[in-house]
Amino acid sequence: MHTCPRCESKTASVVAVSPVKGVWEVYLCPVCIFTWRSTEPETITNPEKYNPAFKVNPEEIPFAAHVPPIARRLH
Amino acid sequence: MAYKDFREFLDRLRQEGQLLTLTDKVNLEPDVAAATRAVNNLGGSTPALLFNNIHGCTNAQIAMNVIGSWPNHALMMKMPANTPLKDQFFEFARRYAQFPVPVQREETAPFHEVEITSDINLFDILPLFRLNQGDGGFYLDKACVITRDLEDPENFGKQNVGIYRMQVKGKDRLGIQPVPQHDIAIHLRQAEERGINLPVVIALGNEPVITTAAATPLLYDQSEYEMAGALQGEPYRVVKAKTADLDIPWGAEVVLEGELLTGVREFEGPFGEFTGHYSGGRSMPVIQINRVYHRKNPIFEHLYIGMPWTETDYMIGINTSVPLYQQLKDSFPNEIVAVNAMYTHGLVAIISTRRRYGGFAKAVGMRALTTPHGLGYCKLIIVVDEDVDPFNLPQVMWALSTKMHPKHDALIIPDLSVLPLDPGSEPAGITHKMILDATTPLAPETRGHYSQPLDSPLDVEKWQAIIQDMLLKK
Repeated sequence: MHTCPRCESKTASVVAVSPVKGVWEVYLCPVCIFTWRSTEPETITNPEKYNPAFKVNPEEIPFAAHVPPIARRLH
Repeated sequence: MAYKDFREFLDRLRQEGQLLTLTDKVNLEPDVAAATRAVNNLGGSTPALLFNNIHGCTNAQIAMNVIGSWPNHALMMKMPANTPLKDQFFEFARRYAQFPVPVQREETAPFHEVEITSDINLFDILPLFRLNQGDGGFYLDKACVITRDLEDPENFGKQNVGIYRMQVKGKDRLGIQPVPQHDIAIHLRQAEERGINLPVVIALGNEPVITTAAATPLLYDQSEYEMAGALQGEPYRVVKAKTADLDIPWGAEVVLEGELLTGVREFEGPFGEFTGHYSGGRSMPVIQINRVYHRKNPIFEHLYIGMPWTETDYMIGINTSVPLYQQLKDSFPNEIVAVNAMYTHGLVAIISTRRRYGGFAKAVGMRALTTPHGLGYCKLIIVVDEDVDPFNLPQVMWALSTKMHPKHDALIIPDLSVLPLDPGSEPAGITHKMILDATTPLAPETRGHYSQPLDSPLDVEKWQAIIQDMLLKK
């Protein structure tokens, strides 16, 4: 498990590895759905250096507005 | 003859010197997006980019900026690469009027070469990468997304081919942004009212005409495929999906078949948008991918989007202007001269028109606001006289400078609809809109001193030809 640089949840996992062995891995956070590659700069990969303006608080995710709203079932 | 597929168009760009192949090794981040942003910074005649040596990948190829300049747009239309913008506009309008051209159906397509029905992993199939630093992940933003109207499924015209941003949210899972003003939102609503999933096909790496038609604000029951046929001057080739009653561009590199999940919303974004701002942090619908087809060694076509101008602006410039032009001409056939709605997808639009009497130009502006595209865009309409070229911004600025009187010619209409991505809208999706009438006052409007417009000295055209000839020989 890996720490998400954006929401700092600890449950991110590897979703892909480079076709050439050992060059990079791609991780996905199941909480905020952030995706990143191991070779990206620290401003993307390091939770402490991730741009504060783009950080996500996991507690706020359930309250995100629905776009578009879910249509009421008629049939 | 039309381009049969994406590769044939890339070959044409290469022949014209409009495709730059980067053979030196690049990193997926930040190099591919950075190089594309850089080429966008270099002006309006730049080439497409093809990356074929990507660090960590074996056979991956990525094509960027494919329609990202006026020469490439002209080549899309099979016109000479140096065709002036205004000539491209009028030729596009002429072909647009040929709509509809029925499709040509095929049984098989090159993308059937490889079929994946289990253990799908989009991160392995496509060389996905981040475009902008604040993006929440890796996106698909130039794919044709195809869905059908559930209440009128036999109506070919109501099948929609559109381009929507899609975040890759798992090995076989995408998030999608269906903006309420776009047709796919109607199909999604129909599915959710029935409590069923909406079948969807996503085609990546298409020849540029269907991409252009898919990005054109057509009327709801107008087929993008039949418009593509009109734009390319011959029937567009489609092939049926194997698991749904959906038609797919024959020449696609990669095809994803799946379902928009009913009643599901999930955290999405942010994503750097064509407005030059990020949008996101909202919960949006999700697509489950069940089947993938692709050509062997597919070329991944992607689009850099960001602060204008980028490829997006070339891709949705003329094809946004022409529907507005045609719809205005339907109302005012003898007056409308040209429409330039190329600025941020038509949030700003400039209309050149003749006038019949005082107040007429303001009515033209009001009509633009009530066109289908105007409901989501057209925040600022500038109306100019028939002798002002709306594609020539210095001329437009001259008209605003001299013809517009703020007391009489600046109209603000409160609380109209706009796409929610407009960062200035408050609440998102609502904005005041403005019409600036920069036409010459006409009776019974008699204000101002406009009776002595300046003319040119005699023989200017003759001298223009002489001097141009001298400059060419220099």
